[in-house]
Amino acid sequence: MHKIQSFPEYQVPGAQHQDFSPYESNGGSIVAIAGEDYVVIAADTRLSSGYTIHTRKQNKLFQLSEKTVLGSTGCWCDTLALTSLVNARMQMYEHLHLKTMSTEAVAQMLSILMYNRRFFPYYVSNVLAGLDSEGKGVVYSYDPIGHCERTTYRAGGSAGTLLQPVLDNQIGGKDRDVKNKPKVPLEKAKEVAKDAFISAAERDIYTGDSVILKVITKDGITEEEVQLRKD
Amino acid sequence: MSSIGTGYDLSASQFSPDGRVYQIEYAGKAVEMSGTVIGMRGKDGIVLAVEKIVTSALYEDDAATRIFTVDKNIGIAIAGLLADGRYIVDIARQEAANFRQQFERTIPLKQLTERVSAYVHAYTLYSAVRPFGVSVILASWDEEQGPQLYKIEPSGTSFGYFACASGKAEQQAKTEMEKLKFAEMSVDDLVQNAGKIIYLVHDELRNKDFHFEMSLVSKETKGLHRLNPQPWYDQAVQSGLAAKNEDDSDNEI
Amino acid sequence: MYSHNNFIQTELWKGGPVPGQFYNFPGTSQDINAGNITAPGLYGSNRSSSPITTGTSVIGVKFDGGVMIAADNLVSYGSLARYQDVQRVFKINEKTIIGAGGDFADFQSLKRSIDQKMVEDMCYQDDIEMQPKSLYNWLTRILYNRRSRVNPLWLEMVVGGMQDGVPFLGHVDLRGRAYEDDVVATGFGKHFALPLVREQISEGRLLSQSEASQVLRKCMEVLYYRDCRAISKYSVAVSTAQGTIVQGPFEVNQNWQLATLVKGY
Repeated sequence: MHKIQSFPEYQVPGAQHQDFSPYESNGGSIVAIAGEDYVVIAADTRLSSGYTIHTRKQNKLFQLSEKTVLGSTGCWCDTLALTSLVNARMQMYEHLHLKTMSTEAVAQMLSILMYNRRFFPYYVSNVLAGLDSEGKGVVYSYDPIGHCERTTYRAGGSAGTLLQPVLDNQIGGKDRDVKNKPKVPLEKAKEVAKDAFISAAERDIYTGDSVILKVITKDGITEEEVQLRKD
Repeated sequence: MSSIGTGYDLSASQFSPDGRVYQIEYAGKAVEMSGTVIGMRGKDGIVLAVEKIVTSALYEDDAATRIFTVDKNIGIAIAGLLADGRYIVDIARQEAANFRQQFERTIPLKQLTERVSAYVHAYTLYSAVRPFGVSVILASWDEEQGPQLYKIEPSGTSFGYFACASGKAEQQAKTEMEKLKFAEMSVDDLVQNAGKIIYLVHDELRNKDFHFEMSLVSKETKGLHRLNPQPWYDQAVQSGLAAKNEDDSDNEI
Repeated sequence: MYSHNNFIQTELWKGGPVPGQFYNFPGTSQDINAGNITAPGLYGSNRSSSPITTGTSVIGVKFDGGVMIAADNLVSYGSLARYQDVQRVFKINEKTIIGAGGDFADFQSLKRSIDQKMVEDMCYQDDIEMQPKSLYNWLTRILYNRRSRVNPLWLEMVVGGMQDGVPFLGHVDLRGRAYEDDVVATGFGKHFALPLVREQISEGRLLSQSEASQVLRKCMEVLYYRDCRAISKYSVAVSTAQGTIVQGPFEVNQNWQLATLVKGY
């Protein structure tokens, strides 16, 4: 495609050229922490672009099954398209195999679906949390073109870079002088996740309003909501 | 089938020496076997009514309906082969949608009739196809044109009517309808007469059971074509049953 | 064009399973119609890079028992207030209403498709009507599809109505970005109207119908004062359990006495 500058005769007074960008950053952050028999995933509920807040109550956690929850932020229209595709594919899997997709299978599929759009990516930051086939908590994180990594904790989205070092310190014990990394109890994981969001809301204008926290255990999924700064 | 046709009845694309196209006439026979269908045009509304013969008690009540909605204010009633009829309805819906796409208004019934009858006629011209075994009654009402009623026959001919009938008791229904003054008729009168005629022309000896079906387009239905609308449906059934009882008691004396 | 209806299909069994084959989902590469919208012609291809005839803000609010959508009656041509008696809020059926801002030509073409869907709904003769959430999601997919071809329908729309008897209100834009809320707005309305309405909604309490129409009136007034692409005439679409209607046009209150006191320009 030629730029409009290549056609000087089009550069007349009143002629406007406004480029359309298919992408938009709509903000939002995710934190997920996995333990031995649980996984916690949390996302804020602010949907914004630039200085505009569209809504203060947009849930960004998508429950995919009894054992798997996907947190997705970034370009919201891509999130909607991707999650509805994931849901459709999971339903097809269920019809074909007569069983629900395991967290590992969802994780693999998500990577493939995203890589399918390698040259026009879903502009999203995904964090997938769930229980694996042995019942252990697990977290998968992705880049926009489908690179997938299995971890035990991850921060993603607009405040992801702000929060990841905090998790490294509090959950991973990375920069602490701890010989045997202690196991993180559920209560601590929840508190760290909440504190992370309270802190992120102080510094990141794209994170705030409230945070929805889901805890996945073998007994099911519980949900709670904590209010954050609304400015 | 001994001598009729004598070889000229196998193709729709050939005349017989005395100038008939037998395939079209046979299509007409298919219509004559069907339950009676009538359409009546009143002062400010139009009604379609059907004697839906129940061929098995196993069918649901609303199975094999013969009245269809084509556009907001256009209804079609079918006498003859139901499968052919449904196909014609589909064509009519496409024509209505196509007209709407081009002109952003509902297709006038005259134009719809012309388009559908041209389609029906095309199936009387070629040896590779057979004519449609249906008689199509089209009805519409709108603020501009008022009530409109057309009928298309298997040959592809179509006319506008005050009232028309097709099917088993076409003649009998026409005789009944000729007694009525349609130009001044209100929707309520129309509906009651429709019920009366269908119940009267139903032949209890030959077909035991039937289901009364009707539709209405008028100002009272907000210009929408509505299938079995209340309270008119009950009105029609009541006057139909009353007329039948009267008729039966006449016969006893 | 967007219709995937049973009646209006050219092929008898389009997209259906061929024996021994799997079902092809519409929109996959086997859907040959998909590529045509932006297929290059003799001199390259045309894509929309800016809107031409535009409508400005649309505002929607939920109230106790229903939804209201308001927009003024102007369609602009750049800075020219070109068409001053145009309806921008619509009744779709007895359960659904819609309001549109952005490129009005795009909306008119989209509305033709929506209206045809309503006719198809009626052909089923089962008295089931499309509900707002279905329309909202459908629009989301259409708009996302077009943005993914980098040839967007330049629209920002508010969809409202009664979803299974419960008020529904959603917003969709040219990228297919969509969200639901108790109050939504487009364009300048985001900046001027949202705060005014949010002020009225204390947590967890919805407005009454008259409060809602009053606050919308106030919003349209403020927008008329401050938005150069707004006029003083507006219409309101209302959806309740009783059905939907479009009311108006209404005239906003205006008072320019203050203007005589403004000095120094």
